[in-house]
Amino acid sequence: MMQQDQLKSKPQAIKGSRLWLFALLFFLLLVVVGLNLSYGSVKIPLGDILKMLTGQEGVKESWAYIIQNYRLPKIATAILAGIALSASGLQMQTMFRNPLADPFILGINSGASLGVALAIMGASLAGGLFVPALNAAGGLGLILAASIGAGLVMGLILLVGKRVNNPTSLLILGLMFGHATSALVSLLIYFSAPEKVKAYNIWSYGAFSGVTWEQLHLFFPVILVALGILFFLPKGLNGLLLGEDYAKTMGLNVDRLRLLILLSASILSGTVTAFCGPIGFIGVAVPHIARNIFKTSNHKLLIPAVILIGAVVAVTADLIAQLPGSQFVLPINVITSLFGAPFVLWIVLKRKRGAASFNV
Amino acid sequence: MNHPLLRTTDLEVGHLNGKPAKKVVASGLNLDLLEGEFVCLVGPNGAGKSTLLRSMTGLLPVLGGEIEISGKKLAQFTRKELAYQISVVLTSPIEVGAMSVKELVAMGRFPFTGLFDRMSEKDWQIVHQALQMVGIEGFEERLIHKLSDGERQKVMIARALAQEPRILVLDEPTAYLDLPGRVSVMNLMRELSSEHGKTVLTSTHDLDLAMRSADRFWLMSAGGEIIQGAPEDLVLSGDFQRIFARDKVSFDSQNGHFSVANKGEEFVSLHGEGDARVWTERALQRIGFQVLDQIEADAPLRIDIEEDEKDVFWVVNDKSSSQRFVSLADLTSYLRLFKNQDTLNSD
Repeated sequence: MMQQDQLKSKPQAIKGSRLWLFALLFFLLLVVVGLNLSYGSVKIPLGDILKMLTGQEGVKESWAYIIQNYRLPKIATAILAGIALSASGLQMQTMFRNPLADPFILGINSGASLGVALAIMGASLAGGLFVPALNAAGGLGLILAASIGAGLVMGLILLVGKRVNNPTSLLILGLMFGHATSALVSLLIYFSAPEKVKAYNIWSYGAFSGVTWEQLHLFFPVILVALGILFFLPKGLNGLLLGEDYAKTMGLNVDRLRLLILLSASILSGTVTAFCGPIGFIGVAVPHIARNIFKTSNHKLLIPAVILIGAVVAVTADLIAQLPGSQFVLPINVITSLFGAPFVLWIVLKRKRGAASFNV
Repeated sequence: MNHPLLRTTDLEVGHLNGKPAKKVVASGLNLDLLEGEFVCLVGPNGAGKSTLLRSMTGLLPVLGGEIEISGKKLAQFTRKELAYQISVVLTSPIEVGAMSVKELVAMGRFPFTGLFDRMSEKDWQIVHQALQMVGIEGFEERLIHKLSDGERQKVMIARALAQEPRILVLDEPTAYLDLPGRVSVMNLMRELSSEHGKTVLTSTHDLDLAMRSADRFWLMSAGGEIIQGAPEDLVLSGDFQRIFARDKVSFDSQNGHFSVANKGEEFVSLHGEGDARVWTERALQRIGFQVLDQIEADAPLRIDIEEDEKDVFWVVNDKSSSQRFVSLADLTSYLRLFKNQDTLNSD
């Protein structure tokens, strides 16, 4: 039998330097949130923002109104969306064992788009049958439509993915789902009234600004529940890093694990897509940033890391979208794609140079 | 003490979702694996070694018959219960990204840790023992993708050991390794069995190494039939040679390795001793000469090996001339020329 020996080992803990990194990221988040509160079509000095937030008197009423009803909910939305997309992307990359996987690339957001397109435009085509129901449910109708769309596509991908064990085929599959759904969306657009089309188009540009405090009451708990699922998954996700075969022989219930990942990731990405539109690249880029900064693929660290970095990236993207100092606001998707596309390209090129897919 | 840890009865293995709904790879297998022994599963490519191992570890469904592990039927194990019995090392290289050796080996404790994978002091101790057993202590903080292939495979074996299984199953653990890596991993498996009492079952293509290391072979033919026995017994019975028979390749049952059946038509007599003679003989056989002993020196060519303190020389004598060479490379290129001329002349 094994001999007992005295070799004691230190329990695995978050190392000091990593704790420091988390602190730095949190500080960075505070900075970009501060800048985002201050800059916009109207510049509000940081001092006044602090005054207002601490409940002091003497702040211009119009400024207080802007902060409270426009900028604060927008930033809260950006933080939630950034967290959700990044957490969803991380799970997808681990499950598909593919560094380029994210809900957007695999067509899951296209599913959500189709759901939303059906909800906005299909309703009128169906003779206004669903319109009252949708209106009555408020934001819930859109969330449901987007989540169902996202969940269906993801379920389909998993179903086919079980047969095709080749990541490239899966990506092509996702692309084709994407094309098929956009064809259907085009069809809906073709037959819809211009104002409906415009409503859909605005949604598809992506924005953190349209979400009200009331809708956040729904957005926040849904994201929280999906993150709650993820909270129980680090062990399983780490196991999947070795591949499903190893995971099985280590006693993990891989089928259940896959289902939970599917559930968490599709709720996260589907909900964000419903509230903010299809926002690309955050989901694929942030997990890589996290792996690069923290030099680890351990999900016990990566999950809190992508949550923080996702929030920073989304708030920063929103900050850039406002083109500080100007009256213009660009769609958020323009920003994430402009900065995200070269980043993804960089990942691909880095891989070609011989680095294994998840290596930093 | 030596009761079978694993036993199969009329086992049938194969794949379920093949083009014909069921594709049987091997059937009627009655095998046993005894506690503490090191068994190598050997056989030609495509015989179904991986399929058999995957069926035994619960990664493929069993098509017929029974597998019993520790006296209990495989089908009655949950995944977790099976993880206490068997741990595995698979062929394909892993891609885990930035993960330390310690983190990876600690995954071996998965069946024992809870939902949040909290490691106790005892768990860490077992991880360290596993690292010691495979001889890579001190590597704890190194990153997996910065290790050599051989080191990485040892880490995977350490992970499997940290799972404290009753049986360690490895599917061609040496496949992607260079020669020193192969020797070292094979030795490690031998040691795990002989020094630490582990039961080890591995498939391998490294027959030379396996023959020197394994307690027993499970010798699998291309048809999926398996003969069990000590490697030496299987050679003596001729089963080994039969199963690995190929055109132009033959198993040299005196030296215990495979060689290209280069039946030379030219004869040469060789005079010399020691290492130089052994390697000269090999060089001559490689280029198609049959080497005769000096007693029956009736060959058209005679080679004398001459040695001083530092160097070795080869002197080639034919009927008319005599030539001196300082390396086997020079010698063989000259002899090749000689051989070709001879063939031309006789035509």
